[in-house]
Amino acid sequence: MSLRKTLVDWLDIRLGIRDLLEQNLTNYLLPRKINIWYTLGAVLLTLFGLQFVTGILLLVYYVPDTEQAFASVQAIMNEVPYGWLIRNLHAVGSNLIVVALLLHMLSVLFMNAYKKPRELTWLSGFLIFNLTLVLCLTGYLLPWSQLSFWATTVATEAPGAIPVIGDDIVRFLRGGAMVGDATLGRFFALHVMGLPLVFGLLVGVHLFCVRRAGISRPPFGEDYQGEPPRYTFEHEHHPGGIPFFPNYAVKDGAVICFFLAVLAVLVFFAPNLFIPPSAFEPADPFVTPPRIKPEWYFLWAYQTLKVFPSELIGLGIQGVLMTLLALLPFLDRSPERRPAKRPLFLVCFVLGILAFVGISVWGHLS
Amino acid sequence: MRRMGLAGLLILGLLAAPLAVWADEGSCIQCHAPQPGALGEPVALWRGSVHQGNGISCHGCHGGDPTLMSMEAMSPERGFLGAPEDSAVPSFCGRCHVGVEEDYRASAHGLALGEGGPQCVTCHGSHAVRVAGLDLINPQDCSRCHDYGRAGELRTAMEQTETLILALDAELKQLRRIGIAVEDWQGRLFALRNDFHRLFHSVDVDKVRRQTDTFQAKLAGMQDEVAELRAELNQRKWIGAGVVILLLAASGLFALLRQSYGRQENTE
Amino acid sequence: MDTGSKDFARRRALLATLLAGIGAVLTGAALYPVWRFLAPRKGAEAQDQVALSRDQVPLGGAHFFNFRGRPAVVLQTRAGHFTAFSAVCTHLGCVIQWQAAEQRFLCPCHAGLFSAEGAVLGGPPPRPLESLAVSLRDDQILVG
Repeated sequence: MSLRKTLVDWLDIRLGIRDLLEQNLTNYLLPRKINIWYTLGAVLLTLFGLQFVTGILLLVYYVPDTEQAFASVQAIMNEVPYGWLIRNLHAVGSNLIVVALLLHMLSVLFMNAYKKPRELTWLSGFLIFNLTLVLCLTGYLLPWSQLSFWATTVATEAPGAIPVIGDDIVRFLRGGAMVGDATLGRFFALHVMGLPLVFGLLVGVHLFCVRRAGISRPPFGEDYQGEPPRYTFEHEHHPGGIPFFPNYAVKDGAVICFFLAVLAVLVFFAPNLFIPPSAFEPADPFVTPPRIKPEWYFLWAYQTLKVFPSELIGLGIQGVLMTLLALLPFLDRSPERRPAKRPLFLVCFVLGILAFVGISVWGHLS
Repeated sequence: MRRMGLAGLLILGLLAAPLAVWADEGSCIQCHAPQPGALGEPVALWRGSVHQGNGISCHGCHGGDPTLMSMEAMSPERGFLGAPEDSAVPSFCGRCHVGVEEDYRASAHGLALGEGGPQCVTCHGSHAVRVAGLDLINPQDCSRCHDYGRAGELRTAMEQTETLILALDAELKQLRRIGIAVEDWQGRLFALRNDFHRLFHSVDVDKVRRQTDTFQAKLAGMQDEVAELRAELNQRKWIGAGVVILLLAASGLFALLRQSYGRQENTE
Repeated sequence: MDTGSKDFARRRALLATLLAGIGAVLTGAALYPVWRFLAPRKGAEAQDQVALSRDQVPLGGAHFFNFRGRPAVVLQTRAGHFTAFSAVCTHLGCVIQWQAAEQRFLCPCHAGLFSAEGAVLGGPPPRPLESLAVSLRDDQILVG
């Protein structure tokens, strides 16, 4: 006990650590009615941390060379002790992250928490979401399997539908006419260095926004009184609320452990749920594997492209949809946050989810 | 970049087909495929054959130059052989299947070549060649020339080993599906299967029986290695189950802690 | 402090102790694989050499033997000059045969041909035979 006190004293004198902990943990008060959905941020931080650690470990044995990449991943899966575990955690974890991200976004949408003054929080979060998808896409190529090669070929082909500059964009993305060494080089650099740096920065901005504006109150119950008009900056305090630590942190802990348990179930018992057979064949530019489908979280986009007569229209609609979502807080400016008082929004919300699921299933079956 | 990421992975099947076709088409197929009768049929038969699956195209057997779009492609100077005479079929196929030819030549089948004895195509067909299996030995086909009796005996003698080979092959495919590197085993099994199948071509029941033990011993060795790996995979699942239980327990304890704090919050 | 909050504190201390225990086990379960993953492994070079007697290999002939669990072959191409190769065909893994008359290797599966130096002479093999290091000591040939 006294050793701990000495240590804390030492740090306190230099960094004012007691004050810092008090402000951010024990005296950082959250709304009393805070619910379980508010834990998803902490869950995502944990899962991203896991990706970061397993990613660095994989880098120890991975060789970013078209001649050797597949064999190096095979070696990681078969020869390096526990390589299968690290690799499956990384590959399966990315899928779980997309699930958690979608839940996080949906809960924020449902509680209308993206509204003033939290537009920047939403925007940075939305950028993180898209960056995650690009990380998924770039990571996909690295094992240099049939799946990697053809998924990347098709993904980088899509912008070719843009008039005039389309072909140049395709060439730029691939670093050449076809997916090859140059593509692996740039995707590798992006996946392990470029994107994670931007990603870390964005997470920092996101957390700063969350902390600075204060946690939003859940818009439910009789004592919820609507949002006061804001003309100057004001951190949203919650007098009489519950401390973040330990009261709410234990709830974070419970949900984090639950998600890790789900991850462990997938990694140990169903790692191939997200990994099709073509992921175990080395890339062959001359043989397209049959029945190749994108990852489940891209199925909706895959299907919308197929539905429209021209790819350009499909691309355009996807672009418009994503832009609308990104700018939602600037378009939807009414201060009302209670879902029950916003029937139109609620209908859009439910229809949106149903459409996403429906189109994805359609894309999967087609 | 962002939009492309999303819009990206999309039109998978669309691009795919033309490239796959391009990979194995040459002038042979371009000219012959549309022709009626004996000149065009082989192309359709060849598609889906074991040869096509392994990238062996027309010129692999018939010679010629598939990069030329003129009749010059079929000139003898380009190594063109055309279709062999019946009695020349064994040496035609034997250019690649040397082991099989050797055993066949020494067999009753091979010695009767040219005097009504069967050659390769009699049993295997010519263009729609499949991976050979025991079902090639059957009353309908064998009794075209002789009694099924001895052929049936031969089939019975081979059945057990063949079943073991097929089972191990299926097991290896399954392991491959979960990312296990089975190429080494598959190579050894391929070699063993090849040796075993060439043994059939001696059509000598006693020889098959004599060698069965050797083959089964080799197979048993491989089965043991695979079983060892299976045991390790099972062990991983037990460890996994333990980890899952511990994580769920931790989650439950956290939830209990939260409940305790919640009660206190409500009494305050 | 009233009895209520004492009860809370006792209960929480118990829960926290249990959690710490599980946390310690899980941390160990996470760190052990990482340590094993990073620990240097025994490479193939640590494996033993194979010793053969010189008179097992006739001049112009070949001797097949087991090298680290895989078939291998050693040749005496000139008097006192020995070379060794993996006997596994680089095409589909069949075991090659030595044809003394032609001084070459034949793979019986698909007629792959290799020279006495292991180079591909014909047939489907994509690569030369894997060459193995040979050294001589007294009457022995050491491979590996």
